[in-house]
Amino acid sequence: MQKRLLVVVLSLVALLALAPAALAGLPANPKVENENLFEGTARPGGELILGLTSGSPKSFNYYGVIDSSAYTIMENILSPLVDVNPVTQELEPGLAEKWDFSADGKTVTFFLRKGVKWSDGKPFTADDVLFTMQNAVMNPNAEGNEVDRFTIGGKKVEWVKVNANTVKAILPASYGAFLRVVSHALMLPRHKLADKAEGTNPALPPGSFNKAWTTNTNPREIVGTGPFMLEQYIVDQKVILKKNPNFWKVDAKRRQLPYVNKLVYLIVQNEQVAMAKFQAGEIDRLKIGGRDYPTIKKEELKGAPYMVLKGTPVNPTPSPTHLAFNFDIKDEALREAFRNLKFREAMAYAIDRDRIIDQVYNTLAIPSGMPVLPSNKAFFNPEIEKYRINFDLKKAAALLDEIGVKDINNDGVRELPNGNPLEFTLTAAVDLQDHTDIATLLKDNLEKIGVKVNLQLVKFSLAFDKALSGEFEAMLLAFGNQPDPQLRKAIWQPGRPLYYWHLSTMKGKEQIPVFEEMYDWEKKIYEDFEKGEVTMSPATRKAYYDDWQLENARNLPVIFITKGMDVVAVQKSVGNVFLQKNGVITGLSNWTVYKK
Amino acid sequence: MLRYILQRFLYMIPMMVLISIICFAVIKLQPGDFGSQYFNNPRVSPEMVQQLRERLGLNDPAYIQYLKWAKGIVTRGDFGYSFAYKRPVSDLIWERMGWTVVVATLTIVFSWLVAIPIGIYSATHKYSIMDYLLTFLGFIGLSIPNFFLALVLMYAVLKAGGTSVGGLFSQNFIETPWSWAKFVDMLNHLWIPVISIGLSGTAGLLRQMRGNLLDVLGAQYVVTARAKGLKESIVIYKHAVRNAINPLISIFGMQLPEVISGTIISAIVLNLPTIGPFFYDALITQDQYLVMTFLMLSAFMMLIGNLLADIMLAWADPRIRYQ
Repeated sequence: MQKRLLVVVLSLVALLALAPAALAGLPANPKVENENLFEGTARPGGELILGLTSGSPKSFNYYGVIDSSAYTIMENILSPLVDVNPVTQELEPGLAEKWDFSADGKTVTFFLRKGVKWSDGKPFTADDVLFTMQNAVMNPNAEGNEVDRFTIGGKKVEWVKVNANTVKAILPASYGAFLRVVSHALMLPRHKLADKAEGTNPALPPGSFNKAWTTNTNPREIVGTGPFMLEQYIVDQKVILKKNPNFWKVDAKRRQLPYVNKLVYLIVQNEQVAMAKFQAGEIDRLKIGGRDYPTIKKEELKGAPYMVLKGTPVNPTPSPTHLAFNFDIKDEALREAFRNLKFREAMAYAIDRDRIIDQVYNTLAIPSGMPVLPSNKAFFNPEIEKYRINFDLKKAAALLDEIGVKDINNDGVRELPNGNPLEFTLTAAVDLQDHTDIATLLKDNLEKIGVKVNLQLVKFSLAFDKALSGEFEAMLLAFGNQPDPQLRKAIWQPGRPLYYWHLSTMKGKEQIPVFEEMYDWEKKIYEDFEKGEVTMSPATRKAYYDDWQLENARNLPVIFITKGMDVVAVQKSVGNVFLQKNGVITGLSNWTVYKK
Repeated sequence: MLRYILQRFLYMIPMMVLISIICFAVIKLQPGDFGSQYFNNPRVSPEMVQQLRERLGLNDPAYIQYLKWAKGIVTRGDFGYSFAYKRPVSDLIWERMGWTVVVATLTIVFSWLVAIPIGIYSATHKYSIMDYLLTFLGFIGLSIPNFFLALVLMYAVLKAGGTSVGGLFSQNFIETPWSWAKFVDMLNHLWIPVISIGLSGTAGLLRQMRGNLLDVLGAQYVVTARAKGLKESIVIYKHAVRNAINPLISIFGMQLPEVISGTIISAIVLNLPTIGPFFYDALITQDQYLVMTFLMLSAFMMLIGNLLADIMLAWADPRIRYQ
C-alpha cells in the first residue's frame, strides 16, 4: 500500500517537474540567455510600449519588402539559426544548437535545436530552413532578399537537408563571414508560406512571394519562432504583439522568456509627438537624437520618472566620420606631402576631437579610432589605442617643420618644398550638419599652424561621387561600422572601388588590384582581407583583422574622427535596460526586458 | 432636373480622363521612380533595383504604363496596386477613409458653425469694437499655418500637464471596443485637430459672409422690408441672410475634396491616422498608382461637390430653378 502511494507521489512529482516545461512549449534544450543581458530580478507580466518612428509597416513579409518598420516588427516575431550577442556582437547558438565545419571549410553543418515549435505549435524542422533559404533569402525576386550575401565568387551557396534536424550548407569556396551572414537570415514557416512562394508553388509568377503576409493578413497566419507573435494591427496607429508561448530561450533560473505579455508599437512618425508621448508616459522606451538630449536630461535631473542612457555605439550607423587625403592627386608637391605619413600624423594632431564632441555632438559621440567599434568583442583590437593621436597643435607644427614644410616668406602660410604654399581643398557634405561643423573646426585649427584650407561644401551624394572618382584633395566622409570586416572589404581593402583615397591601387573597371602601386603596409592589409575571407576559424580570422587594424592605426590611410553614440530614453518602470560596464546599452532586445 | 443631373454626370467622364492624363504626366515628369529610393540603401544592389523596375513595369514607356492602368479600371474596376504595400490601392485607401472623413467633416462643420454666426454678427454690428475684434481673430486664424497652430496647442497642453497629444486616442484605448471612456478620450484628443485645422477655414468664410450680408443689407428690398415694419430679426434672417448665403453654397461644394486631402501637413504633425500622411509617403516614394488613385478620388469629389453645390443652389434659390 505504502509502496503504491510512493509510486503515485513520485510520479506526481515527476509530472509536476515536467509540467512547466511541457506547458510552456519549451524545447528539451532551451537556450539559456546570456547573463550579461540581466540586471535585476525580473517580474513577468505587463506590456512594453515602444514608439515606431519609421512609420506604418508596409508589410509583414521580412523578405518581401524593404522597409525598416517591417524589419523592426518582424525581428520580434522571427529568429535566426545563429544569434548575435547584442552586447558584444559575438556569434552564439540560435535555432541551430551547434554547427560544424568540414576540413576544407566548404561544408557547414547546422544541428537544429530539437523540439523547437512555431508559435502555432507546428515543429520547426530542416524543411523550414531550406524553404527560407531557397524561396526567400536567396530568391532574387523577393524584394528584400539577401542573395548577394550568399553568393561567393559568383556562385550561390547550396542548402541540403540531412535529416529533420540537420541541414548542410555547401559553399562554393570557404568564406569566413558565413556565420555572420547566416545570423541575418530569419527563419520562415514553410507550412504557412509554401503555397504563396513561386519556388514551391509553380502556378505562381515570379515575385508572387512579395504578396504574402501583407498588412491585411490574418495575424494568426503570421507565425514565427521569435519571442513574440502578432496579435493585431490597427492601421496607422498600433501594432500589438503578444508573448510567443513556444519561444525557446530561458533566463538563468530557467524561466521562459520573454517576461512581458505584450509588446506594443505605437506608430508615431513625428519625432516631436513621439517625444511628447514618451514624456507623458505613453511610451516606455525611445531612441532619441542629440537635439532632444539636453531637454530630457534636464527633466531627468529634476526627478522625472524616466532616465536617459548614453551608450557606447554598437550599431553600424551613425557612420563614423573620417578625414582622407588623395594619394593620387595631380599636384606633385602636394601628392608627396599627402603620401608622407608624418604629414598625415600632423593632420591627425590638428583634430580637436574633444571640442568636436562637445560642440558638434552635444557630448553624444566618442572619439573614433577604427572602422571596428571598441564594443565589438569579436573583432576589435585594443592595441590600436597605443597609436591614437590626440589633439596637439605644437606637435603638428613640429612634424610639418620636420618634413621641410615651413613658412619661408613669413606670410602665415607654410610652403611646400617646391615653394608653393601648403593649401588644399577640403570637401564635406553640406546637408550633414556634423560634417560641415567638423570641417569648419578643422579649417580653423589648421590655419593656426599655417595650413591653408579651402572648404568645399557640397551635397553628400555629390561628395560621395567625387570621392569615388578621385576628384578631390582632402575629403570628410563617413562609412558605417559593420560587425564583420569582411562585409566592408570593398571599402578597407586596397585595390577596391571604395578605397577612394588611393584609387591607383585598382586597375580600371575590371577592379584588378595593382600591387606595384601599393605600399608594403597596404599589401599586408590586402593579404589580411584575402585570408580573412576564406578562413573559417574565428580566432585566426580575428588575428588577420587585428593586423589590419594595427596597420591602419600606424599608417593612417584615413584619419578617424568621431562616432555618434546611441541614446535611449527609458521609463524607470522598465527593468533590465541599463548600461553595461563597457558602456553598451543593454535591453534593446525586447525579450529580456520586464515591467516593474 | 433629373436630366440635368444625368447630363452633368456624363460630362464628368471626359473631364476625369483629361485630369488623369495630366496627373500621370506630372508624376512622370518627376525625376526618378519608385526604384530610385533604393539606390542609396546599402542593403539593395543596383541590379536589384533594375530587376524591381522590370517587375513593376517601370521600364515601359509612360503611355503604356498609363494605358495598362486605365485598362484595369475600365475592364476590372481595378485601380492598380501599391508598389510599397503590395496590395490593391483601393483597399489601402478604403482602410484609411473612416477616420479621414470623421476628422475632416468635424473640422468643416466646426469652421461653418463658427464662421456663419460671427459673419452675421459682424455685418449687423458693422464697425463696432466686437466686429473689429472678431475680424482680427479671424485674420489671425487665416494667417497662422494650421500645422503650426497644432504644434502650439500641443505644446500648451503638455505645459499645462495634459497628456492627450498626438493621435486620436490614448494608446490604451486604441484597440478597445467603444465605451463612454473611449469616447471622452477621443474628444480629449480631437479638439486640437478640429480647432487648428478648422480655424484656418473660418476666417475666409467669415469675411465672405460679412461682405455678402453687408451688400444685401444695403439692397432696396431690405429697405422695403424694414419700411413695411417687419421685425429686425425677420428682416435679417428671413430676407437678408438667405440671399447672402448663396455664394457660400458654391464654396461648400469646393470644400468637398478637402474631406480627404485638406489636412495633410497637420495630420503629419498631429500623428493622425488619416489618409494625409499616407498620401504624403506615397508621393515621396513615387508609389505611382496609389498617388494616381488618390488624385482621381480628389478630383472626383471636386466634380461631385460642384454638382451638389449647383443642386443645393437651385433648391435654396427659386430664381435659379426658374431659369
